[in-house]
Amino acid sequence: MDAFNPALAVSCEERDDGANTLQNIDELNRFLAGIERRALRYAEIAVRNRDDALDLVQNAMIKLVRNYANKPEAEWSPLFYRILQNGIRDFHRRQAVRGKVMAWFGRAGDDEPAYDPVEHAPDPAGRTPEESVETGEAMTALEEALQDLPARQREAFMLRTFEGLDVEGTASAMGCSAGSVKTHYSRAVHRLRDTLGEHWT
Amino acid sequence: MTEPLDKKARQLFDESVDGLDAATLSKLNRSRQAALAQAGSRRPLTRWAPAGGLAAAAVIAVVMVQSPGVVETPPGSTAADFEILLGDDSLDMLEELEFYDWLDLVEAGSDADLG
Repeated sequence: MDAFNPALAVSCEERDDGANTLQNIDELNRFLAGIERRALRYAEIAVRNRDDALDLVQNAMIKLVRNYANKPEAEWSPLFYRILQNGIRDFHRRQAVRGKVMAWFGRAGDDEPAYDPVEHAPDPAGRTPEESVETGEAMTALEEALQDLPARQREAFMLRTFEGLDVEGTASAMGCSAGSVKTHYSRAVHRLRDTLGEHWT
Repeated sequence: MTEPLDKKARQLFDESVDGLDAATLSKLNRSRQAALAQAGSRRPLTRWAPAGGLAAAAVIAVVMVQSPGVVETPPGSTAADFEILLGDDSLDMLEELEFYDWLDLVEAGSDADLG
């Protein structure tokens, strides 16, 4: 369950203002349709599993529609990513607890196949196999480098670079100050440059 | 120096988004429709019900711990109480508290009549 955040709280009465109108639903549909594919890849990179990422995205969609449909449309994007980010953090917490329990019972959870980024790499049409391999390897290297970042640095980088949120929107999505976003983002870029330098020059 | 890394990362990410397969896109579409179907739903007590359940569970725990022997409970019943209070079914009970109050009054009246 996502962590409850009072800053994002909205009363049910407030929600009723416009959540049920067809226009509002149509706007929500367009917003979600425009964001869902990027959100899935965002979540997939964070949790390294597509099915889990699909679940997280659907939960984020449901919570946005239920609780924040009457908010200004400009706020939907940071709100959505804040909900999704909370879901991702909870996912990692559950995974950590599950790992401890499995270790306690003497099982390392090795019955599940390891995530293979190459297997999950997309195969866009219209490119030569060599180009696809090159792109796939670069994306794999990027995903692995992102995994090595501290969580907050990874969040700042992905929200700013992949999702195109500005500093304020990223701060809202991460639940921190704009100054913290700048710090996390700057450190992320430096670490990624150090890690990826040989692949990206 | 930041620009090339940003641009390349963004480009790779965009390409991976464009490369999502049809089955995944279909799942996303179904997820969106399921979410939009929630737009008209009302669950007025859902936000506070977990807090209510936790508070009730805490009260029971305090009573049981501070009153050993006063309330005799079979082994394992405390855990069962917590499970019930924290379960989804407890939300229905919390939403119908007035009904249970009325039921108590009716039963008390019946007992008085019988006595």
